[in-house]
Amino acid sequence: MGLFKRFRKPAAEISGLGRSLIAARLDEADSAPADSTVVVFNPAGHARRAEAGRVVRNEGDTVYCFHPGPYQVDLTPFAAAPEIGLRLRFLIDAANPRVAQQRFDLFLFSEAEAELSLSGFCAAVQGALQGELARGALDLPPCTSLDEWNEFRAGLNQLLYTRFGVTVDDCVPVDLGDTIDFADILRARAAASPAIALPVAASPVVAPPVPQVAVPPAAVTPMSAAAESFTAVAEPSAAAISHASLYAATGQAVADVAADAKALRRLFLELPVLSGALRLLVLPDGVEIFKSHQAVLRRLSLLALEVNTMPSLAWAAPDQPLESAQQSRRCAHSAAAISALDEGWALLSRLQLESPAPWAGHEDDTDRICANLEYHLSQRRAARAQVDTEDSQERKEPKL
Amino acid sequence: MTISMLTAQPLPASAEWRCVLADGRVLTITASRRPRANRADVKCTVPGAPAIGEKMQEVVRLARHTEPRFDSRDQVLLSMDIVPSPADRSWELAAVLADRKVRGLLPNTAPRLYAHGWSDCWHLGRVAGQPVLAISRASSHLSAADVFIVGDDASAADATHASHPGITLIQHLGALSGHADPSSAVSSARAWFPLHSGGINDSLSWVEVSVYPIDHGGTDEEDTITASGLDLAALKAVRETLCAARHFDGKGLGRWRTVVRFGQPRFQGESYQLALVMADRLARGRDFVPRGRLIASGCSGAWHAGRVETVEGREPKLELILKQAASGDRILLPQEWQAALPDSYRAALKARGASLACIAQIGMI
Repeated sequence: MGLFKRFRKPAAEISGLGRSLIAARLDEADSAPADSTVVVFNPAGHARRAEAGRVVRNEGDTVYCFHPGPYQVDLTPFAAAPEIGLRLRFLIDAANPRVAQQRFDLFLFSEAEAELSLSGFCAAVQGALQGELARGALDLPPCTSLDEWNEFRAGLNQLLYTRFGVTVDDCVPVDLGDTIDFADILRARAAASPAIALPVAASPVVAPPVPQVAVPPAAVTPMSAAAESFTAVAEPSAAAISHASLYAATGQAVADVAADAKALRRLFLELPVLSGALRLLVLPDGVEIFKSHQAVLRRLSLLALEVNTMPSLAWAAPDQPLESAQQSRRCAHSAAAISALDEGWALLSRLQLESPAPWAGHEDDTDRICANLEYHLSQRRAARAQVDTEDSQERKEPKL
Repeated sequence: MTISMLTAQPLPASAEWRCVLADGRVLTITASRRPRANRADVKCTVPGAPAIGEKMQEVVRLARHTEPRFDSRDQVLLSMDIVPSPADRSWELAAVLADRKVRGLLPNTAPRLYAHGWSDCWHLGRVAGQPVLAISRASSHLSAADVFIVGDDASAADATHASHPGITLIQHLGALSGHADPSSAVSSARAWFPLHSGGINDSLSWVEVSVYPIDHGGTDEEDTITASGLDLAALKAVRETLCAARHFDGKGLGRWRTVVRFGQPRFQGESYQLALVMADRLARGRDFVPRGRLIASGCSGAWHAGRVETVEGREPKLELILKQAASGDRILLPQEWQAALPDSYRAALKARGASLACIAQIGMI
């Protein structure tokens, strides 16, 4: 089909490859730049890497090309401390012959769309890093000692390799004070919330009171992925109204069909790989550990089954369209399932750090992540949030 | 790993948090946990007032949005023993804190816990209240070891909460571990330091540094720093310490207007200085943020070089820190103490989820 050849992507778009662009999807007649690597995915999702140049493709193939780097980005490990950062230099390594599928290839296939920009990738890495630090899985305390820094580096390297498939070349703490001015950030916050009166310059300083009005939604960044309160949409109560309005205000209630589809695609592609990697871990001896390992693998395969049979977003049942409030509830739960999946990758990276894997120390976290995935996927499946029927019937607590 | 440390400590089966209502009655909010079993995440029961129960459920769910770790395995049941009047919202903070304590997020061991506060934006973690009124109302109920957490509206003079050691004023839920409010235009961070006053009265005291951007630089740095409740000599020492430490920082001078507050404004010695300097660095967004509190003891004759020197009272201070340390806390001590620390001390802190560093210099490594 050479009919539309002259509308193809201009060469300028992939000329940023290796600088502002990590990878790009190639269309029919595009040729990859000389210093890049080509990954061809067949319709079944199997990847093969090829030399750069004119791509030989079969029917239904998806072709990406990526530049191995190295790339350099500045990350902010703590949102509360924007003036101190980490300067990270990473590259995409040559294919590891010992694994069936390269992690970076899976990342491209599952998360990159038309292109993978350096800034978008940097934001994803920063989100993963901040989440791990907030949950205490990585530690980067003030006045870090050399031992603590080395431990952090080992965890970070493994996290980026397991979650994104990139290899960390170098990582140093860096003062971002030249490019980021925390004072400007605070001024912008003050301007965004009019209730804060600027203190008069000459008078001795009094900390202005925290305003009682809500900050405009643009400034709102709730850290948690807790999607619990979305269930309130179904409950015809006064509380439900304020929840619904909150999420409408923060833009989360808009049923985002594309995001839901992407989330389910990620789960479909990544859950089997994650569970395969967990299966390959070298575990310490012991029947109890073996049993709990098997139980986790069983739960993950049930979860994969649940993803494979997930009903479509817009329909409650055949011929019964679903109202938009319930669709947005479903979207919220698929997004929350994705964040649980990301936690799962991070957990795998912690387990891969040592051999034999410290399974017993992470049993609770494994259980929590599986339970969260199960919960969010069952909520994504349900057409309507279940109203808690406990009060109306049954289930009396034993009383003395 | 720290996660396993977090879960190694047994979770409490139930937690109680009290609130002295506007009409003088004492309300007790009891939280308990049970397996989820396909039920709602939070269940609230208020006998005879379902509307208040619904409000409590909404408050708790919104406040959970400020937590980084989501767990769907447990259901938390919250109940009130008496019914507050519908207009009284001062119990909201008690409900939020009880919900956190029963899930092991707040390591508080005081015999009785009181709270007073409400919020219009719980999803941001902000807390408001009327501290003067609340403290005068609750003072007859508080015994010496009790803890009272009060939402702050910045109207209270510093002397009001110094009347009882267990009183803490917060404007933000993160302030319980010293973190700055991520949505406020004033960045304020707290750090803790051990106050040694002869055995039984030893306590951890805090220092809070609040910074706000200054519009025109060029004024004398010391004039932009104020501290309430301190005598002149202490104020001068605070100003000199901060100026010198900001000089060491390189980008700290001439940018900020600063307010320093102390939990206990009356003390002697200089061991608060390291905590003050670290709180200042945290408030200005110039240092890595610990997950829990930052506990520090140390002074210096050369803050402009970032040096940390030793202080007195090592044994009682170490003992106090070990007793008070909780999960996620970061403890900074002078380098000279390193040799005297037994290995078991570091291990005991690690078992509590806290980390320790003996430093000769502030900043990275």
